[in-house]
Amino acid sequence: MAIAVKLDDLLHDRRMTLTELAERVEMTLANLSILKTGKARAIRFSTLEAICGALSCQPGDLLRFESEQAEREPIAR
Amino acid sequence: MSKPAASAALPIAHVALRVLIVLNWLAGAAVAAMLVAPLTGRWLLHAYHLSPSPDADRLVMACRAIAAVFLVAIPLHYVVLKRLLAIVETVRAGDPFVAANALHLQAIAWMLLALQLLSLVVGAIARAVSTPAHPLHLRAGFSISGWLAVLLTFLLARVFAEGALMRDDLEGTV
Repeated sequence: MAIAVKLDDLLHDRRMTLTELAERVEMTLANLSILKTGKARAIRFSTLEAICGALSCQPGDLLRFESEQAEREPIAR
Repeated sequence: MSKPAASAALPIAHVALRVLIVLNWLAGAAVAAMLVAPLTGRWLLHAYHLSPSPDADRLVMACRAIAAVFLVAIPLHYVVLKRLLAIVETVRAGDPFVAANALHLQAIAWMLLALQLLSLVVGAIARAVSTPAHPLHLRAGFSISGWLAVLLTFLLARVFAEGALMRDDLEGTV
């Protein structure tokens, strides 16, 4: 998928576990796991707001667009 | 108030569909037996108060042809009832917006279409042999409500397919 979720990096930087985040944002661990592993098809604004609030970050820190073409041809030059 | 009515409707539909499946096969067996029984022709002549004649023979032949068409309809009825039963099961399980139900509805729509075509055939046979002296009154032929049901079922299948896609999207939303 072209949108990469950087939840793992954010959690690592903040020394926080997924379980702790789940408790803070009042989401199930299963749903957060779906998001973390990039299996989610969509994210609600309310979820984004809660995660950004809990991790003190911007939506752009959590999500990043990665061109699929660039993924296929990593180092062409 | 609508909740208890809905919860009662599902078990009733389940039982009714199972009964109809059995009745459908029994009707098929009865008509098949009539078709192969040697005395059917004589019984038909007696029922229509006819004496043996070319007209009477045509009527008997037409009745046999209609019975044969009815036999063709039996497996079509079975598919409709079986697929409806599968849909009722998913409603009972609390998850009717699945892709399988769209396929069930599409299959039902095709079967209803085939049944409407068979009805046209039966109507044509009845018209061909019906005479003022011995009219053959059958509830067959072109039916606006029947064709509307076909159209509606195809549309419903499409609605379910879209609903299943939306449900999938919703399930992948966090």
